[in-house]
Amino acid sequence: MLYKRYIEIGRVCFIRLGDDIGKSGVIVDLVDQKHLLIDGPDGIGRKVLRLNQVALTDIKINIPRGCKTKTVRTAMAKEGVEAKLAATSLVKKFAAKNAKAQLGDFARFKNRVAKTASNRKIRSTVRKLKKSS
Amino acid sequence: MKFKCAELKEFEIVGRPLPKGDEKMPVYKMTIFAPDEIVAKSRFWYFLRQLKKVRKVNGEILRMTEMSNSSPTKIKNFGIWVRYDSRSGSHNMYREYRDVSRTGAITQCYRDMAARHRARPHSIQIMKIEVVKAADTKRPVIKQMHDSKIKFPLPHRILKFNKKSIFVADRPSTMQ
Repeated sequence: MLYKRYIEIGRVCFIRLGDDIGKSGVIVDLVDQKHLLIDGPDGIGRKVLRLNQVALTDIKINIPRGCKTKTVRTAMAKEGVEAKLAATSLVKKFAAKNAKAQLGDFARFKNRVAKTASNRKIRSTVRKLKKSS
Repeated sequence: MKFKCAELKEFEIVGRPLPKGDEKMPVYKMTIFAPDEIVAKSRFWYFLRQLKKVRKVNGEILRMTEMSNSSPTKIKNFGIWVRYDSRSGSHNMYREYRDVSRTGAITQCYRDMAARHRARPHSIQIMKIEVVKAADTKRPVIKQMHDSKIKFPLPHRILKFNKKSIFVADRPSTMQ
């Protein structure tokens, strides 16, 4: 199949825009071609989101269409969605980006110094190898 | 003129002509969809004046309550009966929308009427709005969502353009 991620009941989504940015939920129902009914843990609850606010993950759970919040949460717990999500690149990248934005000036300075030092080491090693070859 | 930047609100307005003495006056109730209370009251008198011999000057509003959504997380199919004035005449319509609330569906209706028929809000009258069972819906756009195993990919997904990368070495991937 060319497409592996579908908009379907039970698909776990990562919210990339809006008030709940960074959180994830499960598609419980579809309002129309552009809106989803998403449900998730306490952080996001049950709400309607636009398709473009959402990024699809590879995780899919088995839930009946339009089921109650309790059913969704137990299904999420049973399938271990939280652990699977933490392993997805979407979540990891968002966390890394967030962490970088939270850095203070001193932390940024430390990073810069470390990067300069490592780059210097890499360049000197490459130069040595070039000279020897 | 109504401005509708956000979702409309549903008001239940009850009014009556002012009593001239001790006589009992008839009481009229209307459901009005409007962006705020002021417009709602105005539309109430507009419609009541058309239907009954009572004007704002000779009448009073007994009660106005804003109706809240009964089930804001349950998706429903709404059938909306509309009367609107086109450039050359007045027409009745039956339109269907899928939404989570009555106000959401009516807002969709106003936007849709403006888009498809260039109908301005002042020329649209909402006659009736009802929740319609999936089996009784008529429009294919609505019926296509009534599939318990509904599933579609997002082919060639173009997300908001990042102006930082106008010129890039490789073509961006549109695979979701």
